[in-house]
This record gives sequence, structure tokens and C-alpha cells, in this order.
Amino acid sequence: MDNLILQLKNQIIEVLNLEDMTADDIATDAPLFGEGLGLDSIDALELIVLLEREYGIKLSNPAEGKQIFSSVASIADFVSKNRKK
Amino acid sequence: MKTLAHVRITPTDTSVNGATVSSASLAGLYREFAGDYPKFFKMDSLCKLGFMAAELCLKNLSADEKENTAVILFNRNGSLVTDRNYQKTIESDNYFPSPALFVYTLANIVTGEIAIRHKIYGETSFYVLDSRDETLMDEIVSDTLLTSSPRYILTGFVEYENEQNYIADIKLVTK
Repeated sequence: MDNLILQLKNQIIEVLNLEDMTADDIATDAPLFGEGLGLDSIDALELIVLLEREYGIKLSNPAEGKQIFSSVASIADFVSKNRKK
Repeated sequence: MKTLAHVRITPTDTSVNGATVSSASLAGLYREFAGDYPKFFKMDSLCKLGFMAAELCLKNLSADEKENTAVILFNRNGSLVTDRNYQKTIESDNYFPSPALFVYTLANIVTGEIAIRHKIYGETSFYVLDSRDETLMDEIVSDTLLTSSPRYILTGFVEYENEQNYIADIKLVTK
């Protein structure tokens, strides 16, 4: 799980262009939206694309997104249980 | 029409009112002259260019004066660089359209980013011209100053082709 968390942090930094940030700067349990990293709705869409492209996960219920994307830890938990690749 | 400030940014030189202030890249300019707006890094290159030109051109304008400002920009290629980058995400078997790229596939997003940053509530327009026609550009700006309410206009030419070829030639004008 630690490897997946690190991989996710690096992928988030890359796809969201979080320049000047490293994986160490993203707290695993910190909120990604609002406070914390301060991501917005476009970032959320980009994360949905990331899950599909890198892990073969297609979110069937958009309402789940709020919980899944609440932190890196929650994304990692969801990916580990649902990944197709 | 009176010019209050003039900013020119190219890959090798950034000048304010004719005096060189930096030779940094766009990211370098951001760190040197802004640094408090992380959204900068999410912008496409055309927006980054326009954003930094506006930062330098508007720095002496008060919040009240900014409210009374319009933004009218011009170029020749629109958002072509980002259009092509976005196209790459939708043309192959590996079909994953990028939302973050898609939102910048309109040149007038530059004016929006500037307006959001500076809380500018005046008119914003982005004209894509056949060529850099200074006469036409001046006519449009002069007409806006005469017929609309904004007291100031941030205007000029903003073109991004690649890291070696870009220019922002922006000025702040008033009646």
C-alpha cells in the first residue's frame, strides 16, 4: 500500500501540474479539496481520468467521488480494491 | 490615448517601460514577480504569458482602478498550442481526453484568468487576427475607451508558439 500511495502522489503531482511540490509535501490523510491541496472541479475530472487511464477503473457512480477523492489514503484504498491493471 | 505602463516579455528578455527587469522563463518570472498564485502552474502557456504580462503591467493600479479596467488582447494563433495538445489526448486508441487541457482550448481564457486574478469587472475580449495589425488594434481599443465605461484598458498582443517563440507586448492605457 505504501508503494501505491507514493505512486498516486507522484501521479497527482504530474497530472495536476503541482509544480514545486514533492510527494513528501502531500499528507496521506489530508483533504485534497477545499483546504489541503485546494483542488477544484477540473482537478476532480482529471483525477477521474487518471484512475481510468492508469488503473482501469471507471467510476460508475459519480456520487462516490466525494468520498473516494477525499484524501490520497482514500484513493489508494479504492484503487487497491478496484484496480483492473 | 495615454500609455501608463508597457510590458514586453520574450523568451530572453522581460522589460517594463523599456527597462529590462529579467531574462527568466515564464516560471522564473512567476517566482520572481508573483509567487502567491499556485493556479499559475495549471494554466496553459498562453495564459501563463498573459498572466505574467498583466502582473507586471497592473502592479501600480489600485483595487478600485482595477475594477474600472477592461482587458482587450490580440494574437494570430488563438490557443493553437493547447488545441493541439488536447487533440493528442483524443485522437489515438489511448482515448483519455484531458479536462485540464480542454478548459484552455479557447484563447479568451487568458482574459478570464487575468480578470479573476485582479478582480477586474470591466469588458474582456480576445481577438484572433490575420496579422498583428497595430492600426486595427488601436482602433478597437480607442473605440472601447470612447464608447464604454472602463477608465483603463489592459491591451496588447500575446502569442505563444513554443518555448523559444513567444511574445507578450502589453500596455495599460487610458483616455
